[in-house]
Amino acid sequence: MNPHSQFKNYSVDHFFDEMFIDEEGKSPRPHYERIFKRLDSLTESEISDRRQQADTSFLEHGITFTVYGEEGGTERIFPFDPIPRVIPESEWSVVERGLRQRIIALNLFLNDIYHDGKIIKDGIIPEEIIRSSKNFRPEMDGFEPPQEVYAHICGTDLIRDDQGNYLVLEDNARCPSGASYLLENREIIKRAFPQTFGGMSVRPVEAYPDLLLRTLEHLSPRKSQKPVCVLLTPGVYNSAYFEHTFLARQMGIEIVEGKDLVSIDSFVYMRTTRGLVQVDVIYRRLDDDFLDPLVFRKDSMLGVPGLMDAYLRGNVALANAVGTGVADDKVTYAYVPDMIKYYLDEDAILPNVPTYLCWRDTDRSHVLENLQNLVVKAANESGGYGMLIGNQSTAKEREEFAQLIKSNPREYIAQPIISLSRHPTFCEEGIEGRHIDLRPFILYGEDVEIVPGGLTRVALKKGSLVVNSSQGGGSKDTWVLKDF
Amino acid sequence: MLSRVADNLYWMSRYIERAEGMSRMIQVHQSLALEYAGNDQQLEEFWQPVLKSICTDQVHLEAEGFRKIGKTLIFSDTYSNSIRSCISMARENARMVRDQLSEELWLEINNIYLLFRDGGAEKLYDQGSDHLLDRIARFSLVFQGLSDATIPHAEGWRFLSLGKYLERTDQTSRMLDTLNLRSKAPSRADLMSVLRCCIALSAFRLQFRGNLSLQNVANFLLFSEDFPRSIRFCLRAIDHSLHTISGFPSGAFSNEAERLTGSALAMVNFTSWEQVVEKGLHQTLDELQVTLIKIGQRVFETYVLLPSEIKSLGEIDSVRLAQAQQQQ
Repeated sequence: MNPHSQFKNYSVDHFFDEMFIDEEGKSPRPHYERIFKRLDSLTESEISDRRQQADTSFLEHGITFTVYGEEGGTERIFPFDPIPRVIPESEWSVVERGLRQRIIALNLFLNDIYHDGKIIKDGIIPEEIIRSSKNFRPEMDGFEPPQEVYAHICGTDLIRDDQGNYLVLEDNARCPSGASYLLENREIIKRAFPQTFGGMSVRPVEAYPDLLLRTLEHLSPRKSQKPVCVLLTPGVYNSAYFEHTFLARQMGIEIVEGKDLVSIDSFVYMRTTRGLVQVDVIYRRLDDDFLDPLVFRKDSMLGVPGLMDAYLRGNVALANAVGTGVADDKVTYAYVPDMIKYYLDEDAILPNVPTYLCWRDTDRSHVLENLQNLVVKAANESGGYGMLIGNQSTAKEREEFAQLIKSNPREYIAQPIISLSRHPTFCEEGIEGRHIDLRPFILYGEDVEIVPGGLTRVALKKGSLVVNSSQGGGSKDTWVLKDF
Repeated sequence: MLSRVADNLYWMSRYIERAEGMSRMIQVHQSLALEYAGNDQQLEEFWQPVLKSICTDQVHLEAEGFRKIGKTLIFSDTYSNSIRSCISMARENARMVRDQLSEELWLEINNIYLLFRDGGAEKLYDQGSDHLLDRIARFSLVFQGLSDATIPHAEGWRFLSLGKYLERTDQTSRMLDTLNLRSKAPSRADLMSVLRCCIALSAFRLQFRGNLSLQNVANFLLFSEDFPRSIRFCLRAIDHSLHTISGFPSGAFSNEAERLTGSALAMVNFTSWEQVVEKGLHQTLDELQVTLIKIGQRVFETYVLLPSEIKSLGEIDSVRLAQAQQQQ
């Protein structure tokens, strides 16, 4: 090791470290050897230059997200850590199979519950769990979505435990975001570490926009002509607005707001300077609640009155379908391994994190007695909101959550605190270990497509387990290496 | 293209042109105001006609007098035509149409926005206000160069052009109008400053040598065939943009915006200086400004609203809608 190495004070601290095998942080795993050597030879200022370069580039290109709760919503860059996360192909291929299995099962489940409900009749999942999910949409009962697929785009969050096992933390089957960062991170890392990148066979990710467009086009109700696809955004103040424009531009489709669309006689049109143009497929980055004020929230200014009617008549396709949220409800989550068994007669390749469902009396009393050792989550929140991490909470916070759980047990689940794997990350004090997760993006069009890797999110705060961008998380480029 | 996108492009372009005009106006007048630096009465007499011409006669209240008026016109958060506001609005519109812009174009707009957001603008100003004002004017020119050189000269580009020239016509007419608003006959310095605001000094000299008079200056800014900031030139550019967008031949009209532009252009083409004097320069410019506002509204109605929405809106509502973004 270079005596001035940024790793000289590095310690694995008993966690599963992605880069190092040994406790002292001296021996990198084989697939990390090259990147370790390269980093080891860089001085502190060389690394910080690269990071500075990346930050400036993100800010100038407007690759930002909006943080709510501060005045007027503040634009920030999603911090980028220049040390890439590496996954050997041998590991990835298992993860990929697991994700494929999972999205197929989730879609069979959605199709089932909006039709015959066999899984309920056969006693695998209680009906009340499904019907009481905030995101169950009775409007979808009996509806046939194109190709019988509901969740076309899914972001499934994976973590690794202290043994390095990949576990599914949650599915995001409504409007998962982050794909734009995955693509931009790759562009930036190529510029920051050209030699290191060039010398390794990193599987490319840039096909994502093309794959996404193909997935969308596949849904078009008008087969005879080139489909008109649009991306529907809540607007410029949405936290993921950058991503919306980015993806629309990469796919070469229009980005529209609700007011750009109009529904006439059960067809949807966009308003152009040349008059109305019929729309076939809407990649909507808007929650169900806001889609159509005639059906869902009456006060929604973001949606299109009459959209649901056009959709249910099959005149326009939506991706994702309406009502997919019932599949990523954190209570439903607990049943996914059972679903896989039920629909596919297979065992789940990627296991879940053990989950206590507070609506079950036995689980609830266990949870209430062990709050200190558990993570409690609201069943329908995302972005790291509505969460209690037992061992980092105050007695007062635990008391508040106990009350919340007692008054609304259906809405809460709890899981053991998993010590997420850590990854060397460039911090104020040099390179230190930080907890990470992985969000791969799964596309389900004609076939299931997954770009290799995904977005690695990193909790930049020391000791923090929360990787969400809204909670001070950052991201890394993720390299799937062909030769390992 | 999407109607909203056309609208965003049009306004982005207007706001950038407005920021450029403001920066030059402030630069020219701030330097002249140095003469009256010690005398609040004279300072007020100097600034008031200028502020009135751009419909901002109350801004000195925020600036607490006239000594720091330039700084307020640049940085005010509350005054909607301050350079800071123009830049924010331009960038906000740009953010909504990023898919239409080249990366180079976006970088320019975003960098100037970041300069204001992160305090760099104040720093530049403190080093000498010209550092900042030059930077803004240059930004606008780079923006124009990049939009000509890096994006397709298709429909979106025509809307950029439309916004730019409508704003520019408006500014030239307002700068010229300051000469009418002064209590005394315009001095040589007043005439020079109007030409400077319109970057017209060299072009003017080529045509009139040193023959600086109200008649020559007004003639030049109203009627010049080929100076790109004269009212005639700008109206011709608006006319051309509108007819390229609609595909309808020039010399006739397919919508109200075309009709109004055509008649304003005809007015400029077929009016003599004597007729302007007869009517009064101020009256002439005032009518022109009203027409410009109407053209903007009609563009909005023609390309952004659906026919059903125009009918269902009263006249006042449609005006309000059209002006929703128009702050001047």
